Amino acid sequence: MNQLLKLENLRVSVGTDKEILKGLDLEVHPGEFHVIMGPNGSGKTTLGLTIMGHPNYKIIGGKILFEGREINKLAPDERARLGIFMAFQAPEAIEGVKIIDYLRLLLEKVKGVDRLKSHDMVIEKAKEVWFTEKELARDINLGFSGGERKRFEILQALLLDPKLVILDEPDSGVDVDSLSLISIKLHELQKQGKTILLITHYGRILQHVDPSQVQVHIIKDGKIVMHGREELVREIENKGFKKVFEECGCNE
Amino acid sequence: MSELTLQDAKSIIENQIETLKKRNKEPDWMTKLRYKAMNAFFEAPHNDPIITDPLDYIAKAEEEMYPEVKNLDELPPEMLALLDRLGIADVEKKYIAGLAVQSDTSIVLNDFLKEWRKKGLIMESMEDAIRNHDMMKELFMKQFHPEESKLAAYHTAVWNGGVFLHVDAGLKVPMPLHLFFLIQNSAMAQAPHIIIDAREGSEIHLIEGCTSPVLVRHSLHLDMSEVYVGKNARVKLSVLQNWPEYVHTRPMTRAIVEQGGEFINTTVGLGTGKSNIANPKYIVKDGGYVELNGIILGQKDYYVDLGGEMLLEGTGARGMNASKSVIMDNSTVITRGLIHAKAPKTKGHISCDALILNHDAKMETYPGLASEVDDAELSHEAAIGKIREEELFYLMSHGLKEEEATQLIVKGFVNPLLKDIPLEFVVEIRKIIEMAVSGGM
Repeated sequence: MNQLLKLENLRVSVGTDKEILKGLDLEVHPGEFHVIMGPNGSGKTTLGLTIMGHPNYKIIGGKILFEGREINKLAPDERARLGIFMAFQAPEAIEGVKIIDYLRLLLEKVKGVDRLKSHDMVIEKAKEVWFTEKELARDINLGFSGGERKRFEILQALLLDPKLVILDEPDSGVDVDSLSLISIKLHELQKQGKTILLITHYGRILQHVDPSQVQVHIIKDGKIVMHGREELVREIENKGFKKVFEECGCNE
Repeated sequence: MSELTLQDAKSIIENQIETLKKRNKEPDWMTKLRYKAMNAFFEAPHNDPIITDPLDYIAKAEEEMYPEVKNLDELPPEMLALLDRLGIADVEKKYIAGLAVQSDTSIVLNDFLKEWRKKGLIMESMEDAIRNHDMMKELFMKQFHPEESKLAAYHTAVWNGGVFLHVDAGLKVPMPLHLFFLIQNSAMAQAPHIIIDAREGSEIHLIEGCTSPVLVRHSLHLDMSEVYVGKNARVKLSVLQNWPEYVHTRPMTRAIVEQGGEFINTTVGLGTGKSNIANPKYIVKDGGYVELNGIILGQKDYYVDLGGEMLLEGTGARGMNASKSVIMDNSTVITRGLIHAKAPKTKGHISCDALILNHDAKMETYPGLASEVDDAELSHEAAIGKIREEELFYLMSHGLKEEEATQLIVKGFVNPLLKDIPLEFVVEIRKIIEMAVSGGM
């Protein structure tokens, strides 16, 4: 089967020469559910932002292939239009831009939705992640709670209907109810056949996800050092990265 | 001054005064005031980095005034076409309240205002008002003096058009009134005089729109506004400028805000013309409030210098000066506010924000705070910079093109200051900003 996303010996630096990803390989096939874990500073967020095309992250070696096509040089919006979506860990607040105006613009410009229909589409999807019509008049992410920010990211994924959904710690700084909702939405996306790349520290976000489908990868110092199934998540939660790395001989 | 002899210069002004006097059939006191201003012109100081000689611009009076029109469809087609530039023609079809249009030096008024006349609202061309109301002697040129600058003197000598807006005590006018300025001739001096006289407890909102077609030579828009905000009255004055690069604008605005009164003055400079220099001044009495909101789009090689002085003279008076500038191409934008606390418990705040879209654009800001009392609260903040890369990336990563994302951010940036502009205009303003951003990219 063809890969949806393939990272080949990916090396990425940020700033002048600080190398963060040091030859990372990953293959993701359509419909799969991948979890990326790793200690702080191991390169998890860099991985997501590099796939999305953040201008500060420079690819100094290797390739990103999406549906067999190299996308190393594509602008972020071109990647989004190919069907890659990223839910950010700390999404930006944009003052003066109302959620409803922004989401309608996304639907119209990115998905080609008719202007007459975009309003109702936004309202309907927003309800699914607990945003009322009134709340859609707020500015993007301005003064949002942790849960609101993460639910707003999920809302954009629901509207854009991408092929690949990258989620960077959708469970950090989130209230229990929002966490449960996000987990349910992840399961729904999984059932729809979406391919998911989930960056997380905790297994709790997987509470509603079919565990038999989950593939786990552990990043350490810019490389993937372990692969496993859902049990690996629990092992790390119980023992911590330090112990797991010692046991696998990953520190050498 | 140019190579004109004093006698030449005098006769240039005299000719204008004589033409205007005849056309307007104005009372002697006004003609005397014009001649007094002419004499002051030669002595008055002149300090303008761009207009070396105001006499390069002449007030050519139309032979006859335009007749009164009942609605927009009766306007001459060339005027309607121009209003389209501001998106006004469409807007107006939806709701039309008071409307006055000044083309060059003549003014066209609609008759929707006749209804409101009975309730105590007067909106007349300044020429009519000067003939019709004795109170004009008490109001006209009471906040300015011709001696203070050559531009003030020249305006007073050759003023043409403008409106007189009077609201009786307690009358609240629910819909905005509209006044539009069009310049259609080259080397014009369009010098409208506007007086807003809002009596105690009244409410009024005047929207001014300004535009011009492409001209062969530069023209000058030299307007003067004198605003009286009575006790507990609320006045909004919103100015939408969409001048092309052939127009220099030197608006002069002053206001006196009486006890508990409120004056919200918003200027949206979408096309500010080749150059725009303004330094409005507001005097605020006990418990009064004044707000100056400036939205400035700096494009091409435009030069914009927007000041704003607030004198907080009464106990508890408040002033707020906020500007948001979007600057591109080779344009220069300067903002300078001054809030002067002269009485106890006064409050003032200046904020200057600017988005600079490219390397050659220039921005300067000079906030000024002065206090003569020990319990005033004065503050300022300023933020000048590029669009934040993280904001742009956030929007682009969800599929918006760089241009679309930039437009959205810029519109969001100016949005907080558009709160008092009717939605129909906001829609048009946003379109104009989108086009400018695309052009600038």
